Amino acid sequence: MITISINGKEIRLEKPMTVLEAARSAGIKIPTLCWHEQLEKYGGCRLCLVEVEKMPRLQTACTLMVADGMVIRTETGRIADVRRGILEFLLINHPLDCPYCDKAGECDLQDLVEKYGPVTGRFKEKKRKVPESLEDPVIVRNMERCIVCTRCVRMCEGVQGASAIAVIDRGGHSHIEPFSGGRFDCEYCGNCVSVCPVGAIMSKLHRHSYRPWQLVDEVETICPYCGVGCTLVVQVRDDVIKRVVPKLGTVVNNGLLCSRGRFGYEFVGSKERLTKPLIRIASKTHDASRVTHNEIFREATWEEAISFVAKKLEEIKDKYGSDSIAGIASPRCTNEDNYIFQKFMRTAIGTNNIDSTARTGFAGAQNFIENIFGQGATANIIPGLSNSDSVLVIGGDPTAINPILGLQIRACSRKGGNILTIGKVKGLRFFNPVSLKPVLYTETVLLEGIVTALRERIGLPGSNPNLEAGIKDINISDGEIEKTCGIKGNDFTMFMKILSESSTPSIVIGKELVQSNSGNYKLLLIAAINYLINGRIYLLSERANEQGLLDMGCAPDLLPGYRPLTFAEFRRKYENSWKTSIPDKVGFSIFEMMDAAKEGSLKALYVMGENPVFNLPDARSVEAAMKNIDFLVVQDIFLTETARLADVVFPALSWSEKDGTFTNMERRIQRLRKAVHREGMEDWRIISEVSKHMGVPLNYSNPEDIFNEVSKVSPLHRDMTYEDIEKGEAVYPYKGEPLRGVSEEIKFQVPSSKFQVSDKKLYLKLERPLFHSGTLSTKAPALVNIYPEAMARISPDTAKSLSLGDGDIVRVSTKIGSLELPVSVDKELDNSSVLLSNNFEGKGAFSLMEYTLDSVTKAPCIDYNEARIEKVNI
Amino acid sequence: MEKILLKNIENPNSADINEYKKAGGYGVLPKAIGLQPKAIIDEVKKSGLRGRGGAGFPVAMKWSFASGDPKFPKYLLCNADEGEPGTFKDRPILEKNPHLLIEGMVISGHAIGAEYGYIYLRGEYPVAKKILNKAIAEAYDAGLLGDNVSGKGMKFHLAVHQGAGAYICGEETALIESIEGNRGQPRIKPPFPVNVGAFSMPTVVNNVETISNIPYIIENGGDTYSKIGSPECPGPKLYCVSGHIEKPGVYELPMGTSLREIIYTHCGGIKGNKKLKAVIPGGVTTPVLPPDKIDCLMDFVNMPKHGSMLGSGAVIVMDESVCMVKVCLRILKFLEHESCGKCTPCREGTGWLRGVLERIENGEGSKGDIDLILSVSDNIMGKTFCPLGEGAASVVQNFVKHFRPEFEEHIKDTGCRIHDKKHASCIVHHES
Repeated sequence: MITISINGKEIRLEKPMTVLEAARSAGIKIPTLCWHEQLEKYGGCRLCLVEVEKMPRLQTACTLMVADGMVIRTETGRIADVRRGILEFLLINHPLDCPYCDKAGECDLQDLVEKYGPVTGRFKEKKRKVPESLEDPVIVRNMERCIVCTRCVRMCEGVQGASAIAVIDRGGHSHIEPFSGGRFDCEYCGNCVSVCPVGAIMSKLHRHSYRPWQLVDEVETICPYCGVGCTLVVQVRDDVIKRVVPKLGTVVNNGLLCSRGRFGYEFVGSKERLTKPLIRIASKTHDASRVTHNEIFREATWEEAISFVAKKLEEIKDKYGSDSIAGIASPRCTNEDNYIFQKFMRTAIGTNNIDSTARTGFAGAQNFIENIFGQGATANIIPGLSNSDSVLVIGGDPTAINPILGLQIRACSRKGGNILTIGKVKGLRFFNPVSLKPVLYTETVLLEGIVTALRERIGLPGSNPNLEAGIKDINISDGEIEKTCGIKGNDFTMFMKILSESSTPSIVIGKELVQSNSGNYKLLLIAAINYLINGRIYLLSERANEQGLLDMGCAPDLLPGYRPLTFAEFRRKYENSWKTSIPDKVGFSIFEMMDAAKEGSLKALYVMGENPVFNLPDARSVEAAMKNIDFLVVQDIFLTETARLADVVFPALSWSEKDGTFTNMERRIQRLRKAVHREGMEDWRIISEVSKHMGVPLNYSNPEDIFNEVSKVSPLHRDMTYEDIEKGEAVYPYKGEPLRGVSEEIKFQVPSSKFQVSDKKLYLKLERPLFHSGTLSTKAPALVNIYPEAMARISPDTAKSLSLGDGDIVRVSTKIGSLELPVSVDKELDNSSVLLSNNFEGKGAFSLMEYTLDSVTKAPCIDYNEARIEKVNI
Repeated sequence: MEKILLKNIENPNSADINEYKKAGGYGVLPKAIGLQPKAIIDEVKKSGLRGRGGAGFPVAMKWSFASGDPKFPKYLLCNADEGEPGTFKDRPILEKNPHLLIEGMVISGHAIGAEYGYIYLRGEYPVAKKILNKAIAEAYDAGLLGDNVSGKGMKFHLAVHQGAGAYICGEETALIESIEGNRGQPRIKPPFPVNVGAFSMPTVVNNVETISNIPYIIENGGDTYSKIGSPECPGPKLYCVSGHIEKPGVYELPMGTSLREIIYTHCGGIKGNKKLKAVIPGGVTTPVLPPDKIDCLMDFVNMPKHGSMLGSGAVIVMDESVCMVKVCLRILKFLEHESCGKCTPCREGTGWLRGVLERIENGEGSKGDIDLILSVSDNIMGKTFCPLGEGAASVVQNFVKHFRPEFEEHIKDTGCRIHDKKHASCIVHHES
């Protein structure tokens, strides 16, 4: 116990801390500028100088550690003089442009000068002049206002790990500049904006468009983009989102955001948003892309559109049966939306034909892993990653797919943990990774080699006979790895040493692994590795509520609570609660729906907040399938590629316009809150209305009502309330029962033949960019400004062999199509890949990718698409 | 007095290992390595050796802190970044007697348990870099550095790391930052480098001159050494004297020689028999002394009693022709340029002081400017992160304290009589 006195108040402390922390804990405010709770202490601004008895010099409270018996005074006349002196120094080169500066009103410097002075200036010399920099798409820099507290630099280097900016020059010439020159050219997380105490680094999005005191509404909600589930504070003026800021102290992202979360909100106010229900007037054989919206649809009233949909669905149900209708749920919609949707499909329609794009990887992989390790095996706390002593990353770049999770891996490295990667992971390349880069299509051999080596080093623990049976005969020597995968023996030895000696390892799995050839076998090998090293698994999730929609039962084989439909006992429980019968036949997966549509047996499809025509591989054949459906209903916020083919389009409310909950990848349930008002209906309400018109009322007055039902019927969510969520107690395994003991034996398929590799060939691969997520982000101008168009990324060698340079237009062709795009040379890329994103309208990689379905995970394998590139002469 | 630090430097080949050995160099090394590290530290403690970089911290104490820290590896850094204007005392050692430094580093390394040493060399010393690198190569060839020093199984590696020209990198924690490849800025203390230094490991940073005393102390014993110079801070001291002096240069004299003796006895007095106007005794940031104060004894203990400091022992002598405002301005220009920018008072204050001084010197000063610079200095004093900014404030305070009328005259006469051609007569008054 340490006892100190601050301003005569006795403070007892359990553990050593700085004087500043001690003062804050006792509610005593000491002014600071360079100090920030997320950053390493710096001691530069000198504002926190305090008097300490028996110390002749003034001491900075932010750096001085408390000692027992210390007597501290923070607000004496002498201290006030000192602070005035320091503030005077800070102001001499400051432009004093508060009337014009966006920071005014929430500026730390302004507030402190108001409190301590000086009132008049004594500085007659010329002030430092630095022109404002508007070169960046989302950030404005005004270095005249900079007080060189270096919070931005410490954030960028020490927390974000981007190391994009630094203090340039020395002394009075010190200023912050990106290493890349004029533009930041960085990850654009904007965390420097958050920590800047003055108006030196600010967001460009709302420049000169509000005053901080005019932001009347502040709503805490969850980010709409990826599965990490960061808390956002949405600040609103006149029903328009002016700014999105993070909040300190939140569990998942604690004051940090990524580019998408911070700058990607503008889609909400887009002029392209749908406003009225639409009913098709044109025939479906038209090439939808060449016809304007008014030529395809007419506007309708809600009443008309809803009763039309209800009538058509009933007709089809009567004529062709319930199973001729299917539904596609949305990982961007809330738990409540998705729960209602599956209930609608299972009760009003009477089919289990409900699925989502989670089927493209996440669902199958999670199911596979949970079958081995039990439900919740992937529900691990994200900040825990930084405490691992090693992190193995495979199948994607977490710093791009789930950026805030990526930061935890970087933090792990900073704390002395080891980063192991299989394949190139661009965002971790400066974090001292031990990277094994197997030759194309030899990943399986490498994983078998790792399992072999671990089995030899650690031995089989014997606790999971099923899994051990699957791996006991695997035998790949180090020599074979070197020969087949092209990995040096030394690298492999070092990798294995770290992996086998870790005591708290984590494994991060990206979708690329699930979507590659023999995905299920690779998952088995990863599971075996995890089993042998006793690690934790993180399954990267690209959509905000991918986990939640599965938990809500939006899957052809699952009921809410992740309960298998095929178990009559579970079915009966839901039948009792819902007072109706549930079909026992497992429904169509999303891919089976497309097949059924193609051959004509699927007559109607109801799509909620999803764009399968763009977001499923082999998009052109999906489009053909959609055109073959008699009746297509789409609920969305934009007229997507899929909506253009619909018979009826309902305009939905977006993420910031409704209440509800999201479940993130660690299975944490969090509250989504309405921030802006918009005419229209939430997804769940539209569906309830349709259901009501079909004679099956789904009566709920608000999302909380729906959630209360979920917590009654789903054994996993038992007794959960919104109140629990507010309190932060909605963390897996909640209050309910995880599913245990129903797993069957592990199904997997050992690949029979290996792909023939030719280093002369190019393969089309999917780029998962940091700045985009689905097509949603392309409706956010800020993100489009950062990453404006689809590009074919190739390696420098490939570029050289084809005489291509950045910006040259090429035609990328595969067996099923071709696209013309500018090329971008990426020195991190291997010579056998062409990378293309699937985000930009008309230029999606999925329009060029064929797929085969994995026999076990049912995920599409898309890594074998040969591509050709040729220059297009304009 | 027997020369210890500048021994043998009249020999044009003194930097050669063989010449050094001929003069008895490396003679004590085998014995030193054979001693227990604690025995070396005890001997240094007996000698009373204090660090020669300017602060005068007892060397044995610093060593025992680092040696007592259980973390390994430890590092020994030699501060050869002599950047204080007027200071060139280490240069003769670096260029003429590099093996003395190397021998001292090996013994010091053994004493603290360091296996790696760096010489952090001033960016503007390209000649010394060549000589040091050659000397280090010779020492490696002779088995005096490496994995098995003198065949005694001791490991000590040494490398030169050249700075990029920042004055602040002479501050030990900024020096460590620079060695690690970071921006040269001082670190928060505590933890002190002896516990968390280079690469977060226990580190001793000693000045070139300090380390060069070590072989003599081990060879002749701490007691013998402690009889040289002032009893409270014994040993030889290198005084580097520059300015208006007959015989400028580096003088090895007993610690505690009086400033008057240095100027008039050893350096031959003021050049051209002009009148002495002021002396800066220990590098530009030490307080300037008027002529009536030069009877002070130049050591770490006595100088503060006379209102100044020994600093690096860089004596800058100025005769009556010098404008003290201009000197003050020149020093402030230097310190403004060299301020690292980390802390507010130094970053902003040095520039402000320079600006006002410039106005005064150029005849644009106004009444109240002297009070302004004193007030600004006061706002810097005691509030900075490291001593650089305080040095600037102290320069202004002391120049005004001793030469206030000259400042007032600049303001009253709208300019400098010495440097401004407008004023025909170049008379300088003032003697107090």
